[in-house]
Amino acid sequence: MVGTNLLDIQNRLRENGLLISFSGRFSQAIIEELGEAVKKYLELEQSPANNIHNIFSIFIEQTQNIKNYCESKDNTEGYHKISNSCIVTIGKVEELNYICSGNLIASEDIPILVEKLDHILRLDKVELKKLYKEVLRREMAPGSKGAGMGLIDMARKATVPLEYSITRLDNDYSFLTIKAVV
Amino acid sequence: MQNLIIEGTKSTPTVHFDQLNNILTLKGQSYPENSFEFYEPIFQWVEEYFAQLEGETTVSVDFILPYINTSSSKCIMMLLETFDKAYLDGKKVNLNWYYNIESPSELECAEEFCEDLNLPFNLIARETE
Repeated sequence: MVGTNLLDIQNRLRENGLLISFSGRFSQAIIEELGEAVKKYLELEQSPANNIHNIFSIFIEQTQNIKNYCESKDNTEGYHKISNSCIVTIGKVEELNYICSGNLIASEDIPILVEKLDHILRLDKVELKKLYKEVLRREMAPGSKGAGMGLIDMARKATVPLEYSITRLDNDYSFLTIKAVV
Repeated sequence: MQNLIIEGTKSTPTVHFDQLNNILTLKGQSYPENSFEFYEPIFQWVEEYFAQLEGETTVSVDFILPYINTSSSKCIMMLLETFDKAYLDGKKVNLNWYYNIESPSELECAEEFCEDLNLPFNLIARETE
């Protein structure tokens, strides 16, 4: 029974072209190990240096974004639930790589995120570059861990516009998925 | 004042700031868990370094940064602004930024950092390691 379940999961991963997946709590050590593994794999595949750079970048931004979000929930009721809900996958479909990640998000955080995502999705590469440079030179918000530039950077490095979805689970939580293709 | 030497890790660059020879080298990937915590001592050292620097000395800054995450980018920009300010104050600062010849993304990233700077900078192609 156990064996068939695992085989089943593996087959489904394969059908989706998944190369690497990790589900659970993200730590810096796990992000580093997976990131290096992804890079090694792509080097063996002889992917162009520029693609490796972009895939690695998007992977790091997605996972660190999620990790920072989880940490922002420290000392709240949902902390354990949210920080154990993280998943990141890297796959390949018809010669294009994708990095797709997901995590639980508290309902109260959805409006700001959606506004930010929709704004970024409307911008073309030139506008994204302008916004990136603007934020890069902006003063940091005190106490913030990230630079607030992860999504902009992903959108710039992705070949096609980012895709996202928000699946409502109950009154308190939804599941957010973000996908970038290189 | 002492040199600033920090060994690199997977996610933090090697820092070799040599105040005797006036060569400041930052080499490696940068995506630490907390970028501001990592760069804070570097900012402090650089402030102190320029405060004691004699006017005629030429400072060479060498950056070899194959990957910089966005929060490190913010710190690198702050560091460059400090160098630029020292240059505008009359210090002789020269920046060499080495990028991977096969990676246009790395070159573009270096260009974006440098394009508003006043100090002299060289973007230098390096072979893949």
